[in-house]
Amino acid sequence: MNKYDSLSDQEKRLKGKMQKLEFADKLSKAQRLKLRIFSGYFLTQVVWLIFRLVLLVGVAYIILYPFITKIAGSFMSAQDFTDVTVKLISKYPTWDQYRVVINENRYFEAFFNTLTLSLLCALIQMTVCAFVGYGFAKFKFKGNNILFLCVVFTMIVPHETLQLAMFMKFRYFDILNILGISSSIAQNAVANEYGIVTSAALGDLPALMQDGFINLLDSYWPLGILSIGGLAFKNGLYIFMMRQFFKGVPDELEEAAYVDGSGVFKTYVRIILPLSVPMMITVFLFSFAWQWTDTFYTNLFFNENVTWLLPNIISVPKGLGVDPTFSAYNLYKSAVTNTCGLLIILPLIILYCFAQRYLIQGIERSGIVG
Amino acid sequence: MNAEAKLNTGKPAVIGKKTKPKSLDSRKARVGYIFVAPFLIVFLLVYVPIVFESIQYSFSYIVTRNSGGFDLDFVGFDNYNEALFINPDFIQTLTSGIKQLVIDIPAIVIFSLFIAVVLNQKMVGRTVFRAIFFIPVILATGIIEQIDISNAMMESMESTIDTGASSSASEIISVVDVQSLFTNMAVGTQLVQYVVQIVNDIYNIVNRSGVQMLIFLAGLQSISPAIYESCTVEGATAWETFWKITFPMISPMILVNSIYTVIDSFTSSSNQVMSFISTVYEDTASHSREIATAMSWMYFMIVILIIAAVSALVSAYVFYQRKD
Repeated sequence: MNKYDSLSDQEKRLKGKMQKLEFADKLSKAQRLKLRIFSGYFLTQVVWLIFRLVLLVGVAYIILYPFITKIAGSFMSAQDFTDVTVKLISKYPTWDQYRVVINENRYFEAFFNTLTLSLLCALIQMTVCAFVGYGFAKFKFKGNNILFLCVVFTMIVPHETLQLAMFMKFRYFDILNILGISSSIAQNAVANEYGIVTSAALGDLPALMQDGFINLLDSYWPLGILSIGGLAFKNGLYIFMMRQFFKGVPDELEEAAYVDGSGVFKTYVRIILPLSVPMMITVFLFSFAWQWTDTFYTNLFFNENVTWLLPNIISVPKGLGVDPTFSAYNLYKSAVTNTCGLLIILPLIILYCFAQRYLIQGIERSGIVG
Repeated sequence: MNAEAKLNTGKPAVIGKKTKPKSLDSRKARVGYIFVAPFLIVFLLVYVPIVFESIQYSFSYIVTRNSGGFDLDFVGFDNYNEALFINPDFIQTLTSGIKQLVIDIPAIVIFSLFIAVVLNQKMVGRTVFRAIFFIPVILATGIIEQIDISNAMMESMESTIDTGASSSASEIISVVDVQSLFTNMAVGTQLVQYVVQIVNDIYNIVNRSGVQMLIFLAGLQSISPAIYESCTVEGATAWETFWKITFPMISPMILVNSIYTVIDSFTSSSNQVMSFISTVYEDTASHSREIATAMSWMYFMIVILIIAAVSALVSAYVFYQRKD
């Protein structure tokens, strides 16, 4: 009996304790929740979350909004522009803008010309900039810094400054004055010999001899030559990016390869290049996209009567049947211009969807440090 | 094997001469030249002549020969004179362009740093936001930029969205709105105008800060997480961490980005001075191309000065982490 009592006593005490404990636990949970919600830390966190979301969505809206209006406008017909109730969604949707622009502005011809040009430039630039960047990053030779300053110099000089000189250089192309010395003598002979031939048979060859000089305009040569030297549009930036990336690659990796008997170039091709694929894709993406939409160099080196490129397709085709007397002509014209723009960047959008992963990866891993 | 055989004949002088290995450094230096060679060759053969000819052209008139080729007539500072004193618009465009630049540079750098910091945090949909934010780098360049400048449709679309009745159509917020907000604070009107200008120019600024964001993101990624960890252990708030850790560590990037922004906005075709120069270049008036070249050389000198000033100003505050 005594035993039982003591046991039950103990049990009771234990139970009581447990209940108390449970109660305390529940209370503290509720309290903790209360504390958590009403504490300053939590509040700032929530405010910051909301602020961040609003900010990001807002900026994303600013970026995407022009595309939305452009896409919306590209499906509108002429009637939509006179209708006041039409804001974004067309009442009389039509494919006409796309159809007529593609047919009449020779879209596919321009597309393939630009594709050839951009692919050529981007591939050369990617290879050359990686190569040169590696040289700047990993080798200490006399004049390394001075040469790199030259790279920076090519970045700083505005294109317009060199516009005329570049035009003249490639119009009268003559490195080291090889032709210039003999030109006065050979001029007549050249004119006689090639004068007829050039216009007829060699019409599509780039290296046309004209008045004793080589005229490289209207060919892929000027941009090709500039790309080989890493001197084309924004190439200084690419060299800089590649250099920073290679500086982040530990030297031990190459040393190990050298010890194993691999030469410098073999090491570069077999060890370094596979490492730098994301960065190379980034450079490729940049140079491809910027060459694709470039108007400065294409205007300078190409004549639209000879080489039809994408920037040339921007105009209102006659086949749409809308003439300048149309009341909303300004709006309509800009809508058609935007449609042309959309057609131009459509391949880039597709490319970006596939490559944006590498773009961010490449940049993140570059570890660019001033 | 060969060297060993010679060693046995006991002619140390010959050995020294023949088998003296070039040091690894000097061999590596030679290979370095090979790597840089493509740039070096084209730079010396094509680019340097282009630069010098460009300077030459700015001091002369080009006369095309009838027989082919061209001659240069040296005319001294005539082209520069023409640009500075006879052309009515050049100086005005130049000053307003530089003023715009002074406004834009801090805005772009601060905006891109802020967005980079936000995009660097862990959150839902980070990849989507990143993908969207870098769209302008790829798509809003060159021809698209040119289309956007003169775009009647986008302006009218914006004005339909804008409901602020009193302000002019394409402004997001007006000076009046902000001033009514700030009247009771002791904030100068100039600052208010500056902020309003930036907010209304936000599309432009967002479009132009893509590469800068990428550079800042790369910089943020390279900061060791251990530093942040020890900071939180010590009880630093996010605000303190930003100013005591992130900001100093990212300051070299700020230097790089300010210089890049200067270069980028000076050389972009949407820049008003640039477009002015190219209209002069395409003008049919006689020797307009040479005058445009002269103008752009003057412009380039100003660019150099501004870059020097910016880098001097920013590099005074740059913190370099010693890596030992």
